[in-house]
Amino acid sequence: MSIFQIVSVLFALFLMYVVSIHRRKAKLTTTEVSFWYSMWAFFIVIALFPGLLLGITQQLHFARVFDLLVVAALMVLTILVVINYFTQKENQKNLEKFVRKQAIDEQNT
Amino acid sequence: MKRSNIWILIPGLNEEKYISTVLKKVKKHTNNIIVISDGSTDATARIAKKYTDHVLSHSINLGKGAALNTGCQYAFNNLGAEAVIFMDSDDQHDPAEIDDFIDKLEQGASVVFGVRSFNEHMPLFRIIMNRLASVTIYALFGSYIPDIPSGFKALSKHAYSKIQWEAPDYAVEIEIAAKVAKYNIKYEVVPIKTIYHDFDRGVTILDTIHMIARILSWRISL
Repeated sequence: MSIFQIVSVLFALFLMYVVSIHRRKAKLTTTEVSFWYSMWAFFIVIALFPGLLLGITQQLHFARVFDLLVVAALMVLTILVVINYFTQKENQKNLEKFVRKQAIDEQNT
Repeated sequence: MKRSNIWILIPGLNEEKYISTVLKKVKKHTNNIIVISDGSTDATARIAKKYTDHVLSHSINLGKGAALNTGCQYAFNNLGAEAVIFMDSDDQHDPAEIDDFIDKLEQGASVVFGVRSFNEHMPLFRIIMNRLASVTIYALFGSYIPDIPSGFKALSKHAYSKIQWEAPDYAVEIEIAAKVAKYNIKYEVVPIKTIYHDFDRGVTILDTIHMIARILSWRISL
């Protein structure tokens, strides 16, 4: 096992621990917990046995499994950034509406 | 349009140093004043209440655009206003010029832009940024609106309902200009004095870059 694999596994275990903390604080639903545990478990399997992805790597014409993983990781990050952007924008609008309503209601009373 | 239905909106954040002076001057011309304290942590709202019954307080700072929106919604929906005039709370505008805005509104203008003269009182950097904003709007929307960053302007209720800006911050000035140009809303300009007290306040170069990026996005989305 290479150092890179060890670091990857430790990283995934740490993030599983983070998920379990959020589960204990009831910040995540059961579905979300299942999704993230599965995601990191899959990550560990791939880190330990990258050869499992050789078929897909060749099918998609990537030179190495590592290249495939980098592209997949970038896609996941992009999705998360986009989701966060829209969520943040929605929250900002809701906050603005709430503060405005509060200010006008206070003035009217 | 009745003069009694025109309200002055003054948004401000921690303006206890100037708000009293501004309101004293404005009250010489009209009693229709709405102050929006945008999350101020100083005595801005308390001081403003000595001069007007209409003081709206945001519990947190949202930005100039959001504060103006709050003031507009209150004026048009709660006070039956027909038009509003925006003024800055840091004594940069001369309330004696309010009458010029009212005259233009009474003559039928939907939007009135207060335009400062570019003289030695205005820092060179601001002149460049100011021109850049006007040229960008002209290039993208086909209408040359001078002195877009000026916060002294007036909007009729009809214009407000068409513009409905989304920018919560300083970009509101440029969004209003962009939408006025885009929707061909009838506007007039009135010359106003250039008064600067604090050169380190107001729109920064980062705000300007941000605004130009926003103009491009409006060009695509409007």
